[in-house]
This record gives sequence, C-alpha cells and structure tokens, in this order.
Amino acid sequence: MTTATVDRPARRVTTPPRRRPRAPRFVLAVPASVWYLLYFLVPLAIIVLYSFGYKPASDADNAGTIGLDKLSLDNYVDTLQDEAFVSTFRSSVRVALIGTTLLFLIAFPLAYFLATRVRPRWRGLMLALVIVPFWTSFLLRTFAWRIILAPNGFVSNQLQSLHLIDSPIELLDTRTAVQIGIVYNYLPLMIFPLFVALDRLDPALREASKDLGAGRVRTFFSVTLPLAMPGIVAGLLLSFIPLMGEYVTPEILGGAQGLMAGSLVVSQFLEAQNWALGSAMAVVLVLLTMLVIAFFAVVASVIRLVLARRRHVAEA
Amino acid sequence: MATASPAVRRRRPFDVPAGLMRVWAVLVYAFLYLPILFVVVYSFNKGRRLQIWDGLGTRWYGDALGNEEIRQSLGVSLRAAALVAVLSVVLGGTAGIALARRGGGWSKPFLVLLFMILVTPEIVDAIAFLIWFVRIDMDLPLARLVVGHSIFSSAVVTLIVRARLQGLDESLEEAAADLGATPFRAFRQITLPLMLPAVIAGALLAFTFSLDDVVISSFVSIAGTTTLPTYVFSSVRTGLKGNIAAISTMMLGLTFLALVIAAVVLRRSGDSAEEVTATLTGA
Repeated sequence: MTTATVDRPARRVTTPPRRRPRAPRFVLAVPASVWYLLYFLVPLAIIVLYSFGYKPASDADNAGTIGLDKLSLDNYVDTLQDEAFVSTFRSSVRVALIGTTLLFLIAFPLAYFLATRVRPRWRGLMLALVIVPFWTSFLLRTFAWRIILAPNGFVSNQLQSLHLIDSPIELLDTRTAVQIGIVYNYLPLMIFPLFVALDRLDPALREASKDLGAGRVRTFFSVTLPLAMPGIVAGLLLSFIPLMGEYVTPEILGGAQGLMAGSLVVSQFLEAQNWALGSAMAVVLVLLTMLVIAFFAVVASVIRLVLARRRHVAEA
Repeated sequence: MATASPAVRRRRPFDVPAGLMRVWAVLVYAFLYLPILFVVVYSFNKGRRLQIWDGLGTRWYGDALGNEEIRQSLGVSLRAAALVAVLSVVLGGTAGIALARRGGGWSKPFLVLLFMILVTPEIVDAIAFLIWFVRIDMDLPLARLVVGHSIFSSAVVTLIVRARLQGLDESLEEAAADLGATPFRAFRQITLPLMLPAVIAGALLAFTFSLDDVVISSFVSIAGTTTLPTYVFSSVRTGLKGNIAAISTMMLGLTFLALVIAAVVLRRSGDSAEEVTATLTGA
C-alpha cells in the first residue's frame, strides 16, 4: 500500500467546485452488489435452507433432488451424532490449530527479520521470493510432496544410505503428510500480513524503548508485539479459516487416514448424493470455525485484561 | 583514546539473534523452494512413474503437449481465466472507486459483505454454486466457471483498488473537475492512470486465481469443460505421471514470465521496487 501522500493535509483555498446533480453515491457499487446478491448471498441462504430438508427416498440416483416440504433439524442431529463425523471434525480442528501454530512459529521470525534487519533495497526481492511460490500452482506445490515423501523416492533412499533412517519414509497418506502440506501451502499467506504489520512499526519506537532502559526482550514483548497485534491476528485468521475448510491437500496427501471435514462435505455431494446432509455439514463446519475463533477471542481478551491489571498494580 | 575503538567495538558484539534469524530465513526459503525444485527436476524424469527417477529425458514434455485432454483443459482454463480477470476488474474496479471516492452509509454493509466473501471457506462456496446453478438451470459450462471464480476475485480486486485510491490525493481529480473536465474525461485522464497498477495487480490475481482453482472448478464444471487443475487433480488420484510435472513446469515458466512483465510495467510507471512487490501481492 502506498502511504506516501496520505499525511499531507489538503490545504486548498479555492471555493469548492460547483456540484452537478449527482447520481446516488453508491451507484458504482451497484453492479458488484447485485452480483454478490445473486451469486453469493442467495446461494448461501439456499445451503442453509437445504440443510433443513431431506433426501427423497424414491429416486436414489437423481442428483440434486431434495425434499423441502417438511423441514427439520434431522440432518444436524445426524451430523452431530455420527461418530465418524465427529471424530473427523475434531481432527480437522486439531490439524488447523496445529497448522496455524506452526505457521506462526515459522513465519514470525522470518517476517521480523525481513522487516527489521534486511536493508530496504534487498527487501523487495526477498518479499518477492516469498510470494513467487504462492503464485505457482497450488496442485503442483502439493503433489511435489508426494515426490519428496515417496517411500522409494530420492529423499527416502538418500536418508537410508546415510543411515539417518532405517526404513523407507512412511509419511504419505497420513495426517502428518497433510500437516506438512498444509503448512507449506499457507506459509506465504502467514508471512505477508506479519511482515506488513512489523514493517509499519516505526523503528524509532524500538529505539526509544531501548533508550529508556528496556532490554531487548522487554522491548520485544512490550513494544513490538503489542503494536503488531492487529497484523498477527489477521495472519492467524487468514490461515485458520481456510485450513478448516481444506479439501485438496488432505485429498492428495492424506489418503484415508488424513481425512478432513471438507472431504466429508464433498463426499455427501459427489458420492452419497445427500445434498441435505451435505448442506448441514457445511453449515456445521462454518459454525464450528466461528466458534473456535470466538473461543480464542475470549481467551485473548481475558489475558489482556489480566495483563493490564497486573501492569496497573506494578505501576501503582 | 586507545580504548575508544575497542569500546565502540564492544558495543556491537556479534548479533546473535540476527545471526539466528538469518539462518532461519535461509531454512524457510529452502523449505519454500525445495518442492518446486523437485517438480521441475522430476519433469525431466524419463521413467514411467513420476516418483521414481529413471534417468534424464524430455519425453513427458512431448507427451504433455501431444495429450489431447491436457490441451483441451488448458484451453478451457485460459479462456475462463481471461474472462474472470476482465469481469473481476470491471466489478471490483467500479466497487473500489465507489468505496474510495463515494463512500457513505452504504460502505459499511458492503465491506461486511466483502469480508464474508473472503472468509467463507471455498468448499462452502463450491457447494453453494453447485446447488444454485442446478436450481436456476444454468448450463453454459464456461459461464459456470467464470461466475464461480469471479466472486472471490472481484472482492479482492475491490479491496486492492480501494486501497490504491485511498492512498492517492483526491485533489488531482477535483482539479480536473475545476478545470472543466467532464466526469468521464477526468476519469479517463486522471483516475484511470492513477489506479492502473491496482487494476493490473487485480487482473493478474484474478487470472491466476482462476487458473489455479481446483475446488470450485471441480464442483461447477460439467463434462467437456474440465479445467487443467481439475484434470491434474483427478490424475493425482489415479497415479502421477511425468506429463503432469511437465505441464506444471511449463505453467510455472509462464507465471514467472507474466510476473516479470507485470513488474517491468509497474516499474516503468514509476513505482519503487517495494511498491511493485506490494502491488503484485495485493498488500
């Protein structure tokens, strides 16, 4: 974002231009609004509606038929009572949470390094290098791991001949492979918001903190980190939300073991042809994602409250 | 005097955290590029199975280029991506201008809508499109793809254009109006050139998003309009062959080329290296 010209106050002494009779202010946003209404809001509403419907028993193989004459919560009850659904949902949450944590731990030092230690003339290039993988095919990046992790592939053979491992790598089609693939695929999405947040901090703030006697660690935890918090939160959300709905990575790397919630939704639509149940599962997926985020938002604000109180006491 | 120089030097001992961060950076970059390197190298594997190296050869490039299915799906992908780019720029460009220059009471709900679009899991979008397209009997195959891809892309373009225009001084446009330019002329001669980098970045993002999309495409496409990613995705399940790596490597080359061209265009229009990166990444 360019911010070079923002701060200059507009100092104009000329009289304001004569206003022509104007169209309403939102007129230019009308095409997009209509488009989103037609192809986003209405379809989403229909998913919610379908989730209360049922699959007609009569025509089993007729895709897309749905009974809406008696609406019920049966699909939700089915979803939440089914052992397999619940355990898959639980493992999705776990994969997404571990993934987001790993992403943050990997990305933060790099983003901090780029924002504070790299000279501006190199920074552009280094950033571009972070982004280029993101511009390459998602599928290419994912199936690359099938080559790398292949039990009889190059890496496995080399590691065995170096006696670092005794038997071939057996990670493909496990949850670990999904975890690796997910972290790899979303890394640029995490690095970027963190970098932007850290880059916007004025270095003078850190220097002031050090001049006032705070050590490195204290400066980091009481100046840098709090100020970068909005970017950190953005990065965490931008990773966690898509991770929860991941479908392609587990499909390619996870096999039967690495199944995630997204795959269950898909199989209801493409295989079982039970659109009502699939819709309910999609709604549950979205609600669950929001629930986890809300939970962490509450935890975060409690922590902040406690910290603020302690600081208050310490200062008093 | 004699002690001055060691004292100065002692104030800057070897910066351990910075050293560690540098090592970490090297490792992360290796992690980012290793898989891509593997695909490129293995695209020159002449063996029948992709994962098992069997000597150097370009046989799979010939195979990929001669493969009718790959050629057809690539054609579908490119056509859809071009249309998505145009549509997203039109929808996102107008909405972005409206947000940056004609904001008002309507902006807030509109921004909430954009935020919803950005955070809805793609899988949910995909089934929503499938249900809706069946419901309204939309059976123009290319239109299904284009509509499906345009929602997310145009929302992103809207935000990029808005960010660009908000960072620019509005008085330039007002000056044009003061000097008697018609709104259309002021737009064409002032606003459009100013927002051009955002439009280029947005078009590129929309194009690559569409070209790369698997989830929505595999839900909405009907027989005969398989996109390249959908084709690749289905062949990952049935068993990888070198032609997938070869076509991916060629696409990678094209992406690089497009990025370099975009960077050069932006550089010519006077942006600094950092601005170019920021624009290209939509930040």
